[in-house]
Amino acid sequence: MTVMELSLAAMESSKKPEAPARSSLELRRMFEEQALPFMDQLYAAAMRMTRNPTDASDLVQETYVKAFAAFAGYRQGTNLKAWLYRILTNTFINDYRKNQRNPFQGSIDGMEEWQVGEAISATATTTRSAEAEAIDHLPDSAIKDALQSIPEEFRLAVYFADVEGFSYQEIAEIMKTPVGTVMSRLHRGRQMLRKLLSEYASSGVGR
Amino acid sequence: MTDCGCEKALAELEEYLHNELCKEDYDQILEHLAGCGDCEGEARVGIVLTQAVQRACRETAPEELRTQILSIVREDLHSQ
Repeated sequence: MTVMELSLAAMESSKKPEAPARSSLELRRMFEEQALPFMDQLYAAAMRMTRNPTDASDLVQETYVKAFAAFAGYRQGTNLKAWLYRILTNTFINDYRKNQRNPFQGSIDGMEEWQVGEAISATATTTRSAEAEAIDHLPDSAIKDALQSIPEEFRLAVYFADVEGFSYQEIAEIMKTPVGTVMSRLHRGRQMLRKLLSEYASSGVGR
Repeated sequence: MTDCGCEKALAELEEYLHNELCKEDYDQILEHLAGCGDCEGEARVGIVLTQAVQRACRETAPEELRTQILSIVREDLHSQ
Protein backbone atom coordinates (compact mmCIF):
# COMPACT_ATOMS: atom_id res chain seq x y z
CA MET A 1 0.00 0.00 0.00
CA THR A 2 1.23 3.49 -0.76
CA VAL A 3 1.11 6.24 1.84
CA MET A 4 -1.83 7.74 -0.04
CA GLU A 5 -3.78 4.48 0.02
CA LEU A 6 -3.07 4.07 3.70
CA SER A 7 -4.32 7.57 4.45
CA LEU A 8 -7.36 7.02 2.31
CA ALA A 9 -8.02 3.80 4.14
CA ALA A 10 -7.75 5.68 7.40
CA MET A 11 -10.33 8.16 6.18
CA GLU A 12 -12.67 5.42 5.01
CA SER A 13 -13.36 4.76 8.62
CA SER A 14 -16.91 3.65 7.95
CA LYS A 15 -15.56 0.31 6.79
CA LYS A 16 -13.56 -0.30 9.92
CA PRO A 17 -15.08 -2.57 12.49
CA GLU A 18 -13.19 -0.94 15.38
CA ALA A 19 -15.69 1.85 15.99
CA PRO A 20 -17.42 0.78 19.19
CA ALA A 21 -21.19 0.64 19.21
CA ARG A 22 -22.54 3.82 20.75
CA SER A 23 -26.04 4.84 21.65
CA SER A 24 -27.66 7.33 19.30
CA LEU A 25 -27.84 9.80 22.15
CA GLU A 26 -24.11 9.51 22.68
CA LEU A 27 -23.44 9.83 18.94
CA ARG A 28 -25.63 12.88 18.67
CA ARG A 29 -23.80 14.53 21.57
CA MET A 30 -20.41 13.70 20.05
CA PHE A 31 -21.49 14.96 16.66
CA GLU A 32 -22.75 18.22 18.11
CA GLU A 33 -19.62 18.67 20.14
CA GLN A 34 -17.08 17.69 17.47
CA ALA A 35 -18.57 18.40 14.04
CA LEU A 36 -20.79 21.43 14.56
CA PRO A 37 -17.91 23.77 15.51
CA PHE A 38 -16.68 23.47 11.91
CA MET A 39 -19.84 25.11 10.59
CA ASP A 40 -18.42 28.60 9.99
CA GLN A 41 -15.40 27.15 8.22
CA LEU A 42 -17.49 24.82 6.06
CA TYR A 43 -19.83 27.67 5.24
CA ALA A 44 -16.90 29.87 4.21
CA ALA A 45 -15.60 27.11 1.93
CA ALA A 46 -19.12 26.58 0.55
CA MET A 47 -19.35 30.30 -0.21
CA ARG A 48 -16.17 30.07 -2.28
CA MET A 49 -17.57 27.02 -4.07
CA THR A 50 -21.12 28.10 -4.80
CA ARG A 51 -20.57 31.89 -4.78
CA ASN A 52 -23.86 32.69 -3.08
CA PRO A 53 -25.29 32.42 0.46
CA THR A 54 -28.39 30.37 -0.42
CA ASP A 55 -26.51 27.61 -2.23
CA ALA A 56 -23.76 27.73 0.38
CA SER A 57 -26.32 27.14 3.16
CA ASP A 58 -27.90 24.27 1.23
CA LEU A 59 -24.51 22.71 0.59
CA VAL A 60 -23.46 22.93 4.24
CA GLN A 61 -26.79 21.52 5.40
CA GLU A 62 -26.48 18.59 3.00
CA THR A 63 -22.92 18.03 4.15
CA TYR A 64 -24.01 17.82 7.79
CA VAL A 65 -26.91 15.50 6.98
CA LYS A 66 -24.52 13.12 5.19
CA ALA A 67 -21.83 13.45 7.85
CA PHE A 68 -24.33 12.75 10.62
CA ALA A 69 -25.64 9.69 8.80
CA ALA A 70 -22.08 8.38 8.42
CA PHE A 71 -20.85 9.48 11.84
CA ALA A 72 -21.38 6.12 13.54
CA GLY A 73 -18.63 4.78 11.29
CA TYR A 74 -16.28 7.71 11.76
CA ARG A 75 -13.29 6.52 13.70
CA GLN A 76 -12.57 8.76 16.69
CA GLY A 77 -9.12 10.29 16.64
CA THR A 78 -8.80 10.41 12.85
CA ASN A 79 -8.91 13.69 10.98
CA LEU A 80 -12.50 14.89 11.40
CA LYS A 81 -11.92 18.21 9.67
CA ALA A 82 -10.53 16.53 6.53
CA TRP A 83 -13.37 13.98 6.70
CA LEU A 84 -15.97 16.78 6.73
CA TYR A 85 -14.24 18.66 3.92
CA ARG A 86 -14.18 15.54 1.81
CA ILE A 87 -17.93 15.14 2.26
CA LEU A 88 -18.43 18.84 1.46
CA THR A 89 -16.31 18.65 -1.69
CA ASN A 90 -17.92 15.39 -2.86
CA THR A 91 -21.37 16.81 -2.30
CA PHE A 92 -20.46 19.94 -4.19
CA ILE A 93 -19.05 18.04 -7.16
CA ASN A 94 -21.77 15.40 -7.29
CA ASP A 95 -24.81 17.51 -6.58
CA TYR A 96 -23.86 20.87 -7.99
CA ARG A 97 -21.67 19.82 -10.85
CA LYS A 98 -23.19 16.59 -12.09
CA ASN A 99 -24.54 18.18 -15.23
CA GLN A 100 -21.10 19.14 -16.33
CA ARG A 101 -18.61 16.86 -17.98
CA ASN A 102 -15.75 18.47 -16.15
CA PRO A 103 -16.20 17.96 -12.40
CA PHE A 104 -14.60 21.32 -11.83
CA GLN A 105 -16.09 24.46 -13.28
CA GLY A 106 -13.84 26.29 -15.66
CA SER A 107 -10.52 24.98 -16.76
CA ILE A 108 -7.14 26.16 -17.84
CA ASP A 109 -8.21 25.75 -21.49
CA GLY A 110 -10.66 28.58 -21.17
CA MET A 111 -8.17 30.94 -19.67
CA GLU A 112 -6.71 34.00 -21.24
CA GLU A 113 -3.02 33.85 -21.99
CA TRP A 114 -2.30 36.75 -19.66
CA GLN A 115 -3.91 34.93 -16.76
CA VAL A 116 -1.74 31.86 -17.18
CA GLY A 117 1.48 33.84 -17.58
CA GLU A 118 4.40 33.16 -15.30
CA ALA A 119 4.85 35.22 -12.17
CA ILE A 120 6.55 38.52 -12.48
CA SER A 121 10.03 37.09 -12.02
CA ALA A 122 11.88 40.18 -13.17
CA THR A 123 10.25 42.41 -10.58
CA ALA A 124 12.79 44.47 -8.67
CA THR A 125 13.13 44.17 -4.91
CA THR A 126 11.71 47.60 -4.21
CA THR A 127 8.73 46.83 -6.43
CA ARG A 128 8.23 43.56 -4.55
CA SER A 129 7.97 45.24 -1.19
CA ALA A 130 5.55 47.72 -2.73
CA GLU A 131 3.60 44.79 -4.14
CA ALA A 132 3.42 43.10 -0.75
CA GLU A 133 2.34 46.37 0.82
CA ALA A 134 -0.33 46.92 -1.83
CA ILE A 135 -1.78 43.41 -1.51
CA ASP A 136 -1.81 43.83 2.24
CA HIS A 137 -3.99 46.91 1.93
CA LEU A 138 -6.52 45.58 -0.57
CA PRO A 139 -10.12 45.39 0.60
CA ASP A 140 -11.56 41.91 1.24
CA SER A 141 -14.01 42.37 -1.61
CA ALA A 142 -11.15 42.71 -4.11
CA ILE A 143 -9.54 39.53 -2.85
CA LYS A 144 -12.82 37.59 -2.99
CA ASP A 145 -13.47 38.87 -6.53
CA ALA A 146 -10.01 37.78 -7.63
CA LEU A 147 -10.48 34.35 -6.04
CA GLN A 148 -13.85 33.90 -7.72
CA SER A 149 -12.39 34.75 -11.10
CA ILE A 150 -9.81 31.97 -11.14
CA PRO A 151 -10.92 28.48 -12.25
CA GLU A 152 -12.45 26.31 -9.59
CA GLU A 153 -9.79 23.63 -9.24
CA PHE A 154 -7.14 26.31 -8.67
CA ARG A 155 -9.36 28.31 -6.34
CA LEU A 156 -10.14 25.30 -4.17
CA ALA A 157 -6.50 24.23 -3.97
CA VAL A 158 -5.55 27.74 -2.82
CA TYR A 159 -8.46 27.83 -0.40
CA PHE A 160 -7.70 24.45 1.18
CA ALA A 161 -4.00 25.24 1.57
CA ASP A 162 -4.01 28.91 2.49
CA VAL A 163 -7.23 29.31 4.44
CA GLU A 164 -7.66 25.86 5.96
CA GLY A 165 -4.01 24.98 6.25
CA PHE A 166 -4.49 21.47 4.90
CA SER A 167 -1.32 19.66 3.85
CA TYR A 168 -0.76 18.75 0.19
CA GLN A 169 -1.54 15.14 1.08
CA GLU A 170 -4.84 16.10 2.74
CA ILE A 171 -5.82 18.26 -0.23
CA ALA A 172 -5.01 15.38 -2.57
CA GLU A 173 -7.41 13.19 -0.59
CA ILE A 174 -10.13 15.82 -0.43
CA MET A 175 -9.93 16.62 -4.16
CA LYS A 176 -9.09 13.05 -5.19
CA THR A 177 -6.06 14.04 -7.22
CA PRO A 178 -2.37 13.14 -7.03
CA VAL A 179 -0.20 15.32 -4.78
CA GLY A 180 1.69 16.58 -7.86
CA THR A 181 -1.56 17.94 -9.27
CA VAL A 182 -2.30 19.69 -6.00
CA MET A 183 1.12 21.31 -6.07
CA SER A 184 0.74 22.61 -9.62
CA ARG A 185 -2.81 23.83 -9.02
CA LEU A 186 -1.76 25.61 -5.88
CA HIS A 187 1.28 27.15 -7.54
CA ARG A 188 -0.60 28.34 -10.61
CA GLY A 189 -3.61 29.40 -8.59
CA ARG A 190 -1.46 31.60 -6.41
CA GLN A 191 0.32 33.03 -9.45
CA MET A 192 -3.00 33.97 -11.04
CA LEU A 193 -4.23 35.47 -7.81
CA ARG A 194 -1.06 37.48 -7.31
CA LYS A 195 -1.24 38.83 -10.83
CA LEU A 196 -4.88 39.84 -10.47
CA LEU A 197 -4.33 41.46 -7.08
CA SER A 198 -1.23 43.34 -8.19
CA GLU A 199 -3.10 44.65 -11.19
CA TYR A 200 -6.02 45.59 -9.01
CA ALA A 201 -3.72 47.39 -6.57
CA SER A 202 -1.85 49.28 -9.29
CA SER A 203 -5.12 50.35 -10.89
CA GLY A 204 -5.72 52.31 -7.72
CA VAL A 205 -9.19 50.91 -7.08
CA GLY A 206 -8.17 49.58 -3.68
CA ARG A 207 -6.90 52.88 -2.36
CA MET B 1 19.63 36.61 -8.33
CA THR B 2 22.74 34.94 -9.67
CA ASP B 3 24.39 33.55 -6.56
CA CYS B 4 23.96 29.94 -5.50
CA GLY B 5 20.72 29.18 -3.72
CA CYS B 6 18.26 31.45 -5.52
CA GLU B 7 17.22 28.80 -7.96
CA LYS B 8 16.50 26.26 -5.24
CA ALA B 9 14.85 28.84 -3.00
CA LEU B 10 12.48 30.03 -5.71
CA ALA B 11 11.70 26.51 -6.89
CA GLU B 12 10.83 25.40 -3.38
CA LEU B 13 9.33 28.64 -2.10
CA GLU B 14 5.72 27.43 -2.28
CA GLU B 15 6.57 24.28 -0.37
CA TYR B 16 8.55 26.34 2.09
CA LEU B 17 5.60 28.69 2.68
CA HIS B 18 3.19 25.78 3.09
CA ASN B 19 5.50 23.98 5.46
CA GLU B 20 5.90 20.98 3.19
CA LEU B 21 9.69 20.73 3.24
CA CYS B 22 11.81 18.42 5.34
CA LYS B 23 13.82 20.19 8.04
CA GLU B 24 17.05 20.13 6.07
CA ASP B 25 15.56 21.80 2.98
CA TYR B 26 13.55 24.18 5.13
CA ASP B 27 16.65 25.35 6.98
CA GLN B 28 18.54 25.82 3.70
CA ILE B 29 15.80 28.07 2.31
CA LEU B 30 15.50 29.92 5.60
CA GLU B 31 19.23 30.60 5.60
CA HIS B 32 19.17 31.70 1.97
CA LEU B 33 16.24 34.08 2.55
CA ALA B 34 18.09 35.71 5.43
CA GLY B 35 20.89 36.73 3.09
CA CYS B 36 19.07 37.37 -0.18
CA GLY B 37 16.84 40.42 -0.49
CA ASP B 38 15.32 39.35 -3.80
CA CYS B 39 14.19 35.95 -2.60
CA GLU B 40 13.14 37.37 0.75
CA GLY B 41 10.92 39.81 -1.16
CA GLU B 42 9.34 36.95 -3.09
CA ALA B 43 8.67 35.11 0.15
CA ARG B 44 7.17 38.25 1.65
CA VAL B 45 4.72 38.60 -1.25
CA GLY B 46 3.80 34.93 -0.84
CA ILE B 47 3.11 35.34 2.87
CA VAL B 48 1.06 38.50 2.36
CA LEU B 49 -0.94 36.71 -0.33
CA THR B 50 -1.81 33.89 2.07
CA GLN B 51 -2.74 36.35 4.82
CA ALA B 52 -4.92 38.35 2.43
CA VAL B 53 -6.86 35.25 1.36
CA GLN B 54 -7.30 34.16 4.98
CA ARG B 55 -8.57 37.56 6.01
CA ALA B 56 -10.96 37.93 3.06
CA CYS B 57 -12.50 34.47 3.37
CA ARG B 58 -13.74 34.66 6.94
CA GLU B 59 -17.47 33.97 7.16
CA THR B 60 -20.02 33.29 9.84
CA ALA B 61 -22.71 30.76 9.05
CA PRO B 62 -26.20 32.28 9.19
CA GLU B 63 -28.00 31.66 12.49
CA GLU B 64 -30.86 30.09 10.56
CA LEU B 65 -28.54 27.46 9.12
CA ARG B 66 -27.20 26.63 12.56
CA THR B 67 -30.73 26.18 13.88
CA GLN B 68 -31.74 24.00 10.93
CA ILE B 69 -28.76 21.69 11.26
CA LEU B 70 -29.20 21.38 14.99
CA SER B 71 -32.85 20.49 14.57
CA ILE B 72 -31.98 17.86 11.92
CA VAL B 73 -29.46 16.26 14.26
CA ARG B 74 -31.91 16.24 17.17
CA GLU B 75 -34.95 15.30 15.11
CA ASP B 76 -33.08 12.32 13.75
CA LEU B 77 -32.60 11.11 17.28
CA HIS B 78 -36.27 11.45 18.15
CA SER B 79 -37.38 9.58 15.06
CA GLN B 80 -35.38 6.49 16.00
